[in-house]
Amino acid sequence: MTFRTNYTVNKTTRFRLLSEDQKARIYRGVIKTLNDTGANVFHDEVREILGKNGCKVDGKRVRIPPEVVRDALASLPPTTTLYSWDGNEEMCYVEPGRSYFGPGPTPPNFNDPDTLERRPYIRKDATTVARVCDALPNIGYVQSLGSISDVTNGLADVYEFADMIQNTRKIIMNWAFSEENVADEHRIGIVMAGGEEAFKQRPNFIHYSEPISPLTSDVDAIGKCLYCAKHRIPQVYTPCCIGGATVPATHAGQIIVAMSESMVGVVLSQIVNPGTCIIIGGVQSILDMRRTIYSYGAPELGIMSAAFTEMLNYVGLPMYSTSGCTDTKKMELQSGIEAAFSIHMAMLSGANFVHDNGYTESGITGDIFQTVMDDEIIGMSRLIAGGVEVNEETLAVEEICNIGPGGHYLYEDHTMKWFRHHWQPTLMDRNSYEDWDAQGRLTMKDRIVKKTRDIIENYEGPASRVPEDAKKDIQKILDKAEERVRSQS
Amino acid sequence: MAVDLGQMAELLIAGKVDDVEKMTEQAIDDGMDPSDILQKGLIAGMDVVGQRFKACDMFIPEVLRSAKAMGAGMKQLRPKLVASGAKMAGTMVIGTVKGDLHDIGKNLVGMMFEGAGFQVVNLGIDLDTQVFVDAVKEHKPELLGMSALLTTTMPKMGEVINALKEAGVRDQVKVMVGGAPVTEEFAKEIGADIYGANAASSVDKAKEVLEA
Ligand code: B12
Repeated sequence: MTFRTNYTVNKTTRFRLLSEDQKARIYRGVIKTLNDTGANVFHDEVREILGKNGCKVDGKRVRIPPEVVRDALASLPPTTTLYSWDGNEEMCYVEPGRSYFGPGPTPPNFNDPDTLERRPYIRKDATTVARVCDALPNIGYVQSLGSISDVTNGLADVYEFADMIQNTRKIIMNWAFSEENVADEHRIGIVMAGGEEAFKQRPNFIHYSEPISPLTSDVDAIGKCLYCAKHRIPQVYTPCCIGGATVPATHAGQIIVAMSESMVGVVLSQIVNPGTCIIIGGVQSILDMRRTIYSYGAPELGIMSAAFTEMLNYVGLPMYSTSGCTDTKKMELQSGIEAAFSIHMAMLSGANFVHDNGYTESGITGDIFQTVMDDEIIGMSRLIAGGVEVNEETLAVEEICNIGPGGHYLYEDHTMKWFRHHWQPTLMDRNSYEDWDAQGRLTMKDRIVKKTRDIIENYEGPASRVPEDAKKDIQKILDKAEERVRSQS
Repeated sequence: MAVDLGQMAELLIAGKVDDVEKMTEQAIDDGMDPSDILQKGLIAGMDVVGQRFKACDMFIPEVLRSAKAMGAGMKQLRPKLVASGAKMAGTMVIGTVKGDLHDIGKNLVGMMFEGAGFQVVNLGIDLDTQVFVDAVKEHKPELLGMSALLTTTMPKMGEVINALKEAGVRDQVKVMVGGAPVTEEFAKEIGADIYGANAASSVDKAKEVLEA
């Protein structure tokens, strides 16, 4: 065995945007913004909690001094584990160096799997999305890609989660209209985990909510954040910042606003329940100043998300990033180009949870076909991020000298072992012209449609393994929610 | 020295809000015809802005700055125009419906209408149905704009239209609706007069309907 002294290894592809000095300057911008201007918080209890814990409250305005931010950051958990609902598998670790890609929440429309035309998202789509995501190897966690239009108004969120969690063992990131609805979803999570204690030990979902840019926490958003903190539910608290409109047009300025408004949630969560898991980040893109579209395909989305990821790494927070999305309406070259760019940027930057893989039409239509394509791109990107392994075995000098000039490597044990590390496409075409012709001249789109429909038809998800009692209990939760909505209206 | 309306148009194109406001005031003080100030100064400038926007020579923030200058000029000019009985764009009331906090798209639309010479009353977000009805009664606008970005809040726009009917003021105002998930069909369904897919095109559509 040979030993090396003081040897530096790059295990993964290295990618850095910001220098230490740039990061420090951006961070000072955040600290100054929070201290001097703060944020509006439209929630009495939250303001009271913040006021009692070192923040300066003036009407709706809450200013957060640097030492309060410092203490919150210091109390964040270094790692949090999330489990499959059956409790048998550790599904996600919220910690640096772990990247999970998934779809996004709540577009109004869905690309119909049969007709390939957009239409309102309906209840059965949530199950489809959960099942397909369960089958895709590079999708690490699940969101719905829509908001259900054919259930009681105000309960789309609860139905969605109730259906999805029974159709995938992967971690679901759910959302809610209100604190009451998060509580329903929490109950469903508890039922699936097999009890309150089991859920505490093995949380099976992450909750997602959004502050408003610029610098505002509305009553619902921060109320949900408070609920999750109290119950130690891992959560995401992230805005959708519109560069040039709701935040400055400069990337550094945008990151300062985004980070500052999310910090309200971070500080609150750590005061209420030190060590509870909170993730920030969000959609960081620009307003297209010609068409007034919030762009999901802009290169700015990639660069800002990567820079934000570095900033959060700098302060020890996990990053909820964005990729695999597009401004196009139909599956075409543009959707692939935009998705590939953003996925690769997110991967190289080391973002932790990367959402919106499957968003088309700038977030207006969810498209499971796009998610299936993204799954392939994520696989390619992950291989590149893996870098080049350099050690005695991979250097293969012995084999090289053995084979010498001429000859080939196809019989070698070394090849038998290592060729398996090559990435295998499931959608990319590498056929010869003749084979491609014989197989019906399929385009990328044809192959995506075929693979997706194949999963929808044949994939056996975990639904049959959900205990009957759990199904009944979930139905009871839904019935109660219906009752509540009826009594409120 | 008489105010140079051509220069005023240039300043408006350049988005010089204060200068346009001052110049309008000056022109009024000089006794210039309010209609001339409007047509040859402000509207002449905004026409160029509109053309440049369509040609991709100007972008939204620049257009909005010019629109703001237009609004500043109109603030001075409006009383004079009213007094002289001259024709001008009317009032628009705009807001985001109950339960909906999406703000920026609606603001953009309001700003664009200001650029078209409308007096814009921006009511804000998360508004009760009654707030719209009261505002229509109070401001007697030609146009009521409603924004909804959520499929769950879209029906509120229909409720407002019904409430306007009940209050007996539906016929006084053209109702215009928009927001990312809103469609032309939906607008028809709830009985709105105009659907606006985006800020720029909705100004053109509204003008067409109001001038018809
Ligand atoms: C930014 C944003 C937010 C921000 C808004 C911040 C702000 N200051 O306004 C925040 C973070 C608050 C937010 C919150 C939520 N949002 Co939101 N949001 C968006 C996003 C990404 C962009 C909207 C935007 O501002 N676009 C840019 C502006 C300029 O465009 P616009 O608003 O469409 O306006 C243009 C036209 O529509 C039109 N128009 C608009 N209004 C009007 C009115 C009239 C009269 C006319 C003529 C024209 C018109 O002209 C405008 C200018 O050209 C959209 C996605 C999207 N692509 O639309 C989601 C989106 C609208 N949100 C969505 C959701 C689900 C939510 C939340 C429920 C999320 C959650 N889990 O909490 C909350 C709801 C909060 C609430 N109660 O309202 C969904 C809606 C889904 C559905 N089924 O309806 C969308 C589609 C995102 C998605 N794919 O999930 N959101």
